[in-house]
Amino acid sequence: MFGFVQRILDWFKSLFWKEEMELTLVGLQNSGKTTFVNLIASGQYSEDMIPTVGFNMRKITKGNVTIKIWDIGGQPRFRGMWERYCRGVNAIVFMVDAADHEKLDAAKQEFCNLLEKPQLQGIPVLVLGNKRDLPNALEVQELIQRLDLSPIKDREICCYSISCKEKENIDITLQWLIQHSKSNSRS
Amino acid sequence: MLSSFRKQDKKDEESSTSGNPYKNLEKASVLQESRTFNETPVNARKCIQILTKIIYMINQGEQLGQTEATETFFAMTKLFQSKDMMLRRMIYLSIKEMSTVANDVIIVTSSLTRDMTGKEDSHRGPAIRALCKITDPSMMQSVERYMKQAIVDKLPSVASAALTSSVHLMRQGPEVVKRWVNEVQEAVNNDNIMVQYHALGLLYQIRRSDKHAIRKLIIKFSKAGLRSPYAYCFLIRIAANLINEEGEGTDSPMYDFIDSCLRHKNEMVIYEAASTIVSLKCVTPKELSSAVNVLQLFISSPKPVLRYAAVRTLNKVAIQYPAAVTACNVDLETLITDSNRSIATLAITTLLKTGNEAGVDRLMKQISSFLSEISDQFKTVVVDAIKSLCQKFPRKHTVLMTFLANMLREEGGYEYKKAIVNTIISIVEENPEAKEAGLAHLCEFIEDCEHTSLATRILHLLGREGPRTTTPAKYIRYIYNRVILENAPVRAAAVSALAKFGAASEELLPNILVLLHRTTLDQDDEVRDRATFYYQLLKHSDKALNSAYILNSMNVSLSALERLLHRYTMEPTTKPFDVRSVPIETVHVEQPKTDINIGVGLPRGGTESKTNREDTYGEQLAAIPEFAHLGPIFKSSLPVDLTESEVEYVVRCIKHVFSHYIVFQFDINNTLNDQLLERVSVQMDGSAEGFEVVHYTPCQVIKCNDTGSTYTLVKLPDDSSAVTGSLACTMKYTVKDCDPATGEPDDEEGYADEFVLEDVEVTVSDHVQKVLKTNWSASWEEIGAENELEDTYTLSIATLEECVKKIISYMGMQACERSDKVPDGKASHALYLAGVYRGGHDVLVRAKMALGGTTADVGAQAITMQLTIRSTDESAVQVIASAVE
Repeated sequence: MFGFVQRILDWFKSLFWKEEMELTLVGLQNSGKTTFVNLIASGQYSEDMIPTVGFNMRKITKGNVTIKIWDIGGQPRFRGMWERYCRGVNAIVFMVDAADHEKLDAAKQEFCNLLEKPQLQGIPVLVLGNKRDLPNALEVQELIQRLDLSPIKDREICCYSISCKEKENIDITLQWLIQHSKSNSRS
Repeated sequence: MLSSFRKQDKKDEESSTSGNPYKNLEKASVLQESRTFNETPVNARKCIQILTKIIYMINQGEQLGQTEATETFFAMTKLFQSKDMMLRRMIYLSIKEMSTVANDVIIVTSSLTRDMTGKEDSHRGPAIRALCKITDPSMMQSVERYMKQAIVDKLPSVASAALTSSVHLMRQGPEVVKRWVNEVQEAVNNDNIMVQYHALGLLYQIRRSDKHAIRKLIIKFSKAGLRSPYAYCFLIRIAANLINEEGEGTDSPMYDFIDSCLRHKNEMVIYEAASTIVSLKCVTPKELSSAVNVLQLFISSPKPVLRYAAVRTLNKVAIQYPAAVTACNVDLETLITDSNRSIATLAITTLLKTGNEAGVDRLMKQISSFLSEISDQFKTVVVDAIKSLCQKFPRKHTVLMTFLANMLREEGGYEYKKAIVNTIISIVEENPEAKEAGLAHLCEFIEDCEHTSLATRILHLLGREGPRTTTPAKYIRYIYNRVILENAPVRAAAVSALAKFGAASEELLPNILVLLHRTTLDQDDEVRDRATFYYQLLKHSDKALNSAYILNSMNVSLSALERLLHRYTMEPTTKPFDVRSVPIETVHVEQPKTDINIGVGLPRGGTESKTNREDTYGEQLAAIPEFAHLGPIFKSSLPVDLTESEVEYVVRCIKHVFSHYIVFQFDINNTLNDQLLERVSVQMDGSAEGFEVVHYTPCQVIKCNDTGSTYTLVKLPDDSSAVTGSLACTMKYTVKDCDPATGEPDDEEGYADEFVLEDVEVTVSDHVQKVLKTNWSASWEEIGAENELEDTYTLSIATLEECVKKIISYMGMQACERSDKVPDGKASHALYLAGVYRGGHDVLVRAKMALGGTTADVGAQAITMQLTIRSTDESAVQVIASAVE
């Protein structure tokens, strides 16, 4: 009964107030996390970024949804701190450089480590294979296979292949994210 | 029970009225509250309050654990999502406070660099300061770009923040900061006076080790002209430092610069220049007068600050150069009645220093008219002035002593009373005529003295000086009153003082015995023990016993005695404990304080405290198994340089003398940044003098710009009377080239190399420890003439003072009975020395010297000296005698 009333209330709210969602963006260094944030914030692609030392906090408004993004540095010394910023968010976005085959194993390792944390149980995960514009980039299916995503059943998981440079598949990524904002994720 | 309830009530009342909301914070609950940081949306007001509580707690000395601090820190980083200005600045403050306790604080680096380059100007400076707090050497590279930009930023607050933070970063990674020198130079030309000052400060830090560059820097800016008076003051201080360090005279261009600042248009710069000139070591009357002229102008300024600064400086000048200040006397007279009492006090005390004997009475009257109006701190200034007056006009001691006694009777804090008592004591010691009057005043003071430490000091002084006065009997009443009326520590001190009277005077002995006997029933253990001990000793009326146990005290280091006794009780043995195995307490030589270093506030090297050097070295050496059997260290020498200061390896040697061995400790500083030293040892050769090297303890590795220690163990010659000589030293090691940036060696092999050092001298003074005998003649009688050695020498030394100084330094012994001070105009002098020879044997030396005598060199001044040495050990006498030859 209470849940029902809550849903009605949320529905009313969504008509008058803006939705808010919080997500954390992680992944190995040089996979394009900060570039992705800049792209969805400004619509512009900019190359040659300096590595993120620590984290960046950005707020982006898309339609009636405000997205709070914690963009965490991917260098080894920051990887232990990912979990702290993933607790209690609406979704975790894991960025992978699909064209860097050598680092895929390391990425898989960090990904598994992160999902094992009990505090992060049940939080939806979006895996993004970036840099699909490069010639030897992996396709979505190959990526799912290499990262061994299909056995994961205890949470919602999704994988897209995108390109920040060519702005490919950015729209479906945003759609997925907005779907997982507060009220939508509860329904 | 009831009373405790009342107390509780009172406490509650107090806390509610004091109105400090942060007074009773609980660490656990505050940290619990910090969970609020994770909530969304952020409640800025609430979070600001929690952060305030955390900062308050840390500043009150609450220690945060690493885990809880890290937890709180990371929760706080979530607050970066809020745009609230107040909250953001609070976050910066908290980052700075927690930067040293929490782990992984570099997580906020990116957020801070965004803020420091962002649009919000009021965030930029604080963000820079917080960033520099969390940056460790490994992260310096990643902030370098931003710092360089910020240093040349248009906004003064940003540039200043970057410059001052860089000064702090110099400690983390001087090499990186040095690369910003171009930007810093640009900032020196900034129009803003604060930026210019800060930029100059950083530029100095960067160039600091290069004296030549500093010199060029001063000359350049003194010509170019700076806008900032602060920068000028700073330049003056650097220049003065250079002059003092390099021992330059007033003909140096550095001095010309300071002198030119006397004609600057800004008062602050003029004052800085004047106060710097008067504190220079090389200053002559001519330069002094130009500085004093400027200060004289300030004295008649309508601004109280200037008057105060000028008169305070003149007051200090007057200590060293009273004649130079005499010119200002007329102006100083007008300040006597200044409504600002601090200025008036300083003016009067200055006049006391510069004036003649006739003026003393008038000035003392003037000062006593408002003495009750000034603070303790300034009263202490007055006391100091009186102290120097007494040295200058010994005949005035009656007036001054009465004045001091009056001051002593007035109300006042401990520090103030201590200053007065110190002054009276020093007058009593320096001026034999004032002794009895001074002691009488002190006796009166302890009749009503609330400070235990002062009372015990005075009692100690009475015990030492009283028996030598004409009527020792009159002090006994004062001292015995203490035994009846005071608390236990004072009673114990009084008992000791009484015993000294008994030991020194046979006449008084029966009375003292009666008094001590009464005290043996005291309720305090210590007092009773002392009384019983002295009573039993004095009953024998044996001079040797009196000297050893009453008139002179034990000279062993108390901490070492405690340690050795503890060890002795741990291992049951039938052997009695040997006091001679305990290291000797080193004698403190009180350095006369140089009051004249006004103005120059640049950091100078702190003087190493000499206390318990043997103890600290002892612990270091005991950690090396080869040295474990050597026993306690007898004496550790001061470090001696074995290299020039600007070579690749700087080596210093410390000699640790044991009863049969010497351990040479070599501290080697590898100044090269591309070489690594391994297996470093110092080979020694002293076979010619009978020294035999027993063991080398090499230092495994000395990294670039690092210091390591290696030890060489040498056995002393068997012939116990020939223990001096010089040993040749060669440093042997394996060199590995390495990368200057990382410090990692390039190749595995390396090559062997050696480096010849200067010889190490082992002198007589290395075998002797200074010991202060308060009653030297009693000890002299106690040792007796059994191992006496007497000889007469003719020395070609011009003055008695020099002779005294040389004898003391050669023998390494302590002058007793103030015999190291030669009275003016005397043609003969007797020097009394005391020391302990290696192995724990007391050595006493009497040197009677007289001007005159003939040397081979006709016409040269000479001194005839009769040297008498007594010791409990025969070979010690031989060794000490050899020091003169």
